[in-house]
Amino acid sequence: MDFASDVWFTFARRFRIGLREPVWIFFSLAQPLIWLLLFTQLFKNLALMPGFPTSEYLLFFAPGLIVMMAVFSSAYTGFDMLQDIQFGVVDKMLITPANRYAMIIGNILNALASLTIQILIIFVMVYLMGVSVATGAGGIVLTLVIVWLIGLAFCSLSYALIIATRSQTALVVIANLLSLPLMFLSSAMMPAELVPDWVQTAMMFNPVNYSVEAVRPLFVSGYDWSSYGMGLLVLGIFAAVGVVTAVLAFRNFGK
Amino acid sequence: MDLIVTDKLTKIYNKHIVAVDHIDLGIKEGEIFGLLGPNGAGKTTTIRMLSTLTRPTSGTAKVAGHDILKDSRKVRQIIGYSAQAAGLMENATGRENLDLFGRYHHMEGSTLKQRTDELLELVNLTEDANRLVKTYSGGMRKRLEIATALVHQPRLLFLDEPTLGLDIQIRVNIWDYVRRLSEAGITILLTTHYLEEADRLSHRVAIIDKGKIMATGAPDELKSAIEGDAVSLRMPSASAEEQRATFAKTEKVLSGQPFVKKIMATHDGVNVYVDRADEAMPKILRLLEKEGVETASTTVSRPSLDDVFIRYTGRTIAEEAAGNNAGKGGK
Repeated sequence: MDFASDVWFTFARRFRIGLREPVWIFFSLAQPLIWLLLFTQLFKNLALMPGFPTSEYLLFFAPGLIVMMAVFSSAYTGFDMLQDIQFGVVDKMLITPANRYAMIIGNILNALASLTIQILIIFVMVYLMGVSVATGAGGIVLTLVIVWLIGLAFCSLSYALIIATRSQTALVVIANLLSLPLMFLSSAMMPAELVPDWVQTAMMFNPVNYSVEAVRPLFVSGYDWSSYGMGLLVLGIFAAVGVVTAVLAFRNFGK
Repeated sequence: MDLIVTDKLTKIYNKHIVAVDHIDLGIKEGEIFGLLGPNGAGKTTTIRMLSTLTRPTSGTAKVAGHDILKDSRKVRQIIGYSAQAAGLMENATGRENLDLFGRYHHMEGSTLKQRTDELLELVNLTEDANRLVKTYSGGMRKRLEIATALVHQPRLLFLDEPTLGLDIQIRVNIWDYVRRLSEAGITILLTTHYLEEADRLSHRVAIIDKGKIMATGAPDELKSAIEGDAVSLRMPSASAEEQRATFAKTEKVLSGQPFVKKIMATHDGVNVYVDRADEAMPKILRLLEKEGVETASTTVSRPSLDDVFIRYTGRTIAEEAAGNNAGKGGK
């Protein structure tokens, strides 16, 4: 009972504070809009190439964008905690009788809640731009499940990193250094059939690619349970690794 | 009864940096106990161990009879911790900050609401309760911060450098709050490198340097244990040579006297340390006059905690603070 309430109050205060951060609005509105308006124009003619899976680049890119936004915003989640660490708030929390694990879990849940809102906003944006999801509401829910798993993995690792380094610079550098290559080495922007062999090989080891592959058929063609199942499996493992890392990092906090 | 008892409490970082070195302390229920020492002396580390935040490398401590390692949960229920850093959520209101810490102590909604109102009243923040902390001044923050450590009505409050970097008026104001808490029956362990703070606020003080406790006692006890009162004599002299000669003469006249404990040269005269300045002063002046040593003016000073600190560590704490942390430290 205490555990649940510790999770809830951690989540609730973080969420309320999050709503006061204008940066958050930029992330959820401006960034995807830039990608949707500029990037899709830049690559528009790609869809005319023989072998391209859709006739509209926007339709092809929308699932990629959703995964990309999930990765980007989760990777920077650690910032949430940095100020609390530097200001000694985390120290003070840790010496209350509240459960340590509940605190980190409450923080992660908040990250997932904000992520869900961001992704739903993107769904609305792409809908307004003429993309309709082939599998409808069911597809949206299945997409969210994948998004939650990516979010779980990246925001946990981001928390672990900030706890270990206590450095804003380290988080920015590492998040940047990792998230872009992870996007480029996936089929988010380009179909796997059209990229060099070595990139295809790299894709096999990239959890982000499995997310894109799991989500794209839901948008483009229809339910594809084999790629979705594969996505669930890979991301499930990735997310579990992430959460365990974050919990362990937090357990040793201050010792 | 001792509320805190430490037993050879030790913390070593990275296998060789000894932050706290076999500390034995006993802190009585109801007292304000000051841990006085320069930056890096091990004060914060000691508090962090006692509040279960950091594990000791060796040794242990009991808080209200609970072992800080084995019964950390029980310890946490009765302690409040006010951090040296701001310790507040900047983008939350004063009330929200108090509320969260209350929730983490598993307080019920209505009790918590009542307690929060009481605390806001106590620290004079009722009117600003619903403003974001980032709009608060330094003094308001500190008051709120101390309040967050009190939500669950702890028996014991740790205050880590409660007035670090605050203006003197605000410091005096914070001291008032601390005294008020003490009068309400809370035991307080505070760390400080401000001599005045330790002196004016604490019932007892421990002087800590390089991880070791150098002396413990009531500020007045510690002060009277050293040289005693100082009688400062200012003696006009034209040159350094003349000054040396005057000092030599003074020393010759006074050193044999039973009431004189110590004589030291100062930049413009002589300091004579005695048990009781009021009785010694006329005798000193009479003896000097008889030998023809002229005295321009005299002042009597009670020894300060700084003198105590010098006595045990060989340095003044103000020098130490200025050296380590220019601009922040000092008296």
